[in-house]
Amino acid sequence: MVEIVSNLLRQELANLAAADKRIDGRGRWESRDILLETDCLYNAEGSAKVTWGDTIVYAGVKFEVRAPWPDRPTQGSLMCGAELRPVAALKYEAGPPSPESIELGRVVDRGIRESGCIDMDSLCIIPGEKVLGVMIDIHVLSDQGNVFDASALAAIAALKTAIVPAERFDIGEDYPLQVQKTPTMCTFTRVGGRYVIDANVEEETGGEERVHITLAEEGHLHSLQKGLKGTLTPAEFAEILEVAQNRCAELAELVKSKEA
Amino acid sequence: MGSPVGRHGDKEMTGAKEGAVQRLVTPGEAIGASSGARAGTGTLKQGDNIISTKLGYAKENNGVLFVEPIYSAYLPRSGDLVVGVIESVRNNLWFAEVNGPFNGLLPMSLAPWKVEFGAAREHMDIGDVMLARVQEVDEAHNIVLTMKGVGLRKLKEGSVLELPVNLIKTIRENNEEILNILKEISDCRIIVGDNGRIWVDGDPANITTVRDGIDLIKSMGHESNVLSSIQNYANERRNN
Amino acid sequence: MGGYGDVQLLRDDGLRLDGRKLDEMREVQIEAGVLPAADGSAWVKHGLNVAVCAVYGPMEAHPRKIQRQDRAVIDLRYNMAPFSTSDRIRPGFNRRSREISKVTAEALESVVLVERYPRSKIRVEIEILSAEAGTRCVGITAASVALADAGIPMRDMIVGVASGKVEDTVVLDLDKAEDNYGQADLPMGILPTTEEIAFLQMDGDLSVEEFNLCMEYNMKAAKEIHEIQMDALRRRYESKNGGA
Repeated sequence: MVEIVSNLLRQELANLAAADKRIDGRGRWESRDILLETDCLYNAEGSAKVTWGDTIVYAGVKFEVRAPWPDRPTQGSLMCGAELRPVAALKYEAGPPSPESIELGRVVDRGIRESGCIDMDSLCIIPGEKVLGVMIDIHVLSDQGNVFDASALAAIAALKTAIVPAERFDIGEDYPLQVQKTPTMCTFTRVGGRYVIDANVEEETGGEERVHITLAEEGHLHSLQKGLKGTLTPAEFAEILEVAQNRCAELAELVKSKEA
Repeated sequence: MGSPVGRHGDKEMTGAKEGAVQRLVTPGEAIGASSGARAGTGTLKQGDNIISTKLGYAKENNGVLFVEPIYSAYLPRSGDLVVGVIESVRNNLWFAEVNGPFNGLLPMSLAPWKVEFGAAREHMDIGDVMLARVQEVDEAHNIVLTMKGVGLRKLKEGSVLELPVNLIKTIRENNEEILNILKEISDCRIIVGDNGRIWVDGDPANITTVRDGIDLIKSMGHESNVLSSIQNYANERRNN
Repeated sequence: MGGYGDVQLLRDDGLRLDGRKLDEMREVQIEAGVLPAADGSAWVKHGLNVAVCAVYGPMEAHPRKIQRQDRAVIDLRYNMAPFSTSDRIRPGFNRRSREISKVTAEALESVVLVERYPRSKIRVEIEILSAEAGTRCVGITAASVALADAGIPMRDMIVGVASGKVEDTVVLDLDKAEDNYGQADLPMGILPTTEEIAFLQMDGDLSVEEFNLCMEYNMKAAKEIHEIQMDALRRRYESKNGGA
């Protein structure tokens, strides 16, 4: 379903931006409240629920024992997928995974994978024969803006609280998955001509392009993505990167507060 | 502006004077015997009982039992004032999204302008917001809109807020008491559509005042003290 | 049914492995209005099952071929989240979820006053977040609350509940072990006020006497769950302050 955007909404967002205001009264670099719960899904080996404003996202971690890829006999694997199912908003339709779902899953996947937070060699059980596969599934239940940041947060929090069910796989005693870093995402959306963080549903509807930045606690970039129609300048990127440094550090602290 | 017609019975005649605790009922729940009473909106006769078909408050008026729903989707009726958004344009007509199940059709002949065939887009294009009236709803729920009438026009400024249609009634109660408070503290022009859309025009800061008030009403839902909460909110604003 | 080998499902004291009596159901908790984006929604925890349901609409029925001139259609998806079971489920529709979606939609069409909304559809999205036997029933219970929350008119609520047979004994509300190793499972969708049956499936082996006892257990449980449904809807508005 293609949403029609009312011209009055665009106009109002532009007027508000000119007065350095946002439609829900927040500051440019101010996020909505975030509630992070972990270990909340009975059948998942690691799980998290993120309530971010009115956006609700679950992430669940499952493991499998499988044969390694021939060219990497000692390495396990990691896969992160996302579903923007029709439950999440009126605009989502049934059918095979949409390009939006796939983009969401892959952007979150890259941030986690490329941060190196999981040592793939640590997932080896018997070299050349058996390795662990880690699968993170992101399930968006309510999309009221900024599902990307909420999904990335849920994914890393679920991963950090995951227990490898070794007994079930007959490979020893259960143990916590080792996750060395805490990559988190900060998304910037152009609303009324300038970037803001954590756009709500009206700002996304009446806004333009967005930039997703994933940083780990050492402050390095691990994943970038520009989505939707629009362009940005190097100066704008420098500005939002600085904001992302602070923001991602806060989010990483939030995740760490849930670790045992 | 349209008069505040009670959709589910006349509030002035029933509601307030009883003062009893309102009974919240769920679908299938019996709200009275079918002998004697008549089944009004939100109810059905089932065997010996009149049952509720909706989540809402059970009420009675002159022997008619009815249920005032907590939440209802907008179903257009002829005469409704609606705030619509143009969704598509043809040579000689517009389709507007009016917050109901079906789009409304505005033929060129019912537009406020003299339109040349094929030039409809020059007057209103996709995304434009308009104030219209429902001219006609047929049995298949097709909706014809009109913009011929006092005040009906394309809305070029301001912003559109949303409120569930059952709460639209709340802000119009007692001669638009809540609506008048919002107008007074914000100094905005406010037009309330029957379709759960409210058009507000004024300074950006003043529009925010109205938006916060509407959000307050939304969050209070069907509570009986909406009015006093709005009065408190208004006092805070006046003191600032 | 998984067939019955030497797995013991009833204890020597006559109670079930989790300590329940034969006609005792698992604990049920319900919340209404949990999803801010939806017109109506519900969360149901039944034992270790968790289902969430969103309702959108009524809206114009698309694609056109599903449109009915005289009534609304219920456009329903029952879906199990990939992490909802002990072995991960590949995302996407499978034969099982398609069948459950079809019969669940038809069950709901039997209680919703669909003739009020010609050419429309009402979208019902059931998501199973955690599964431990009986998810289709939990989905029905959740959908009914979400529809009421969305202001959709219905002539009754509908409750999903199952009974079955383990070790030649009829029991109410099978848990995972009982479902896997039991002899029969009879899930039903019951209109709690009128006692009509809108959803009915069964597999396994039941005598007529056993079936009748299952039915009796299901009816009793439906009334209990109905109370919890009504309580959830009332709580949402009696102490209401904000959406989710």
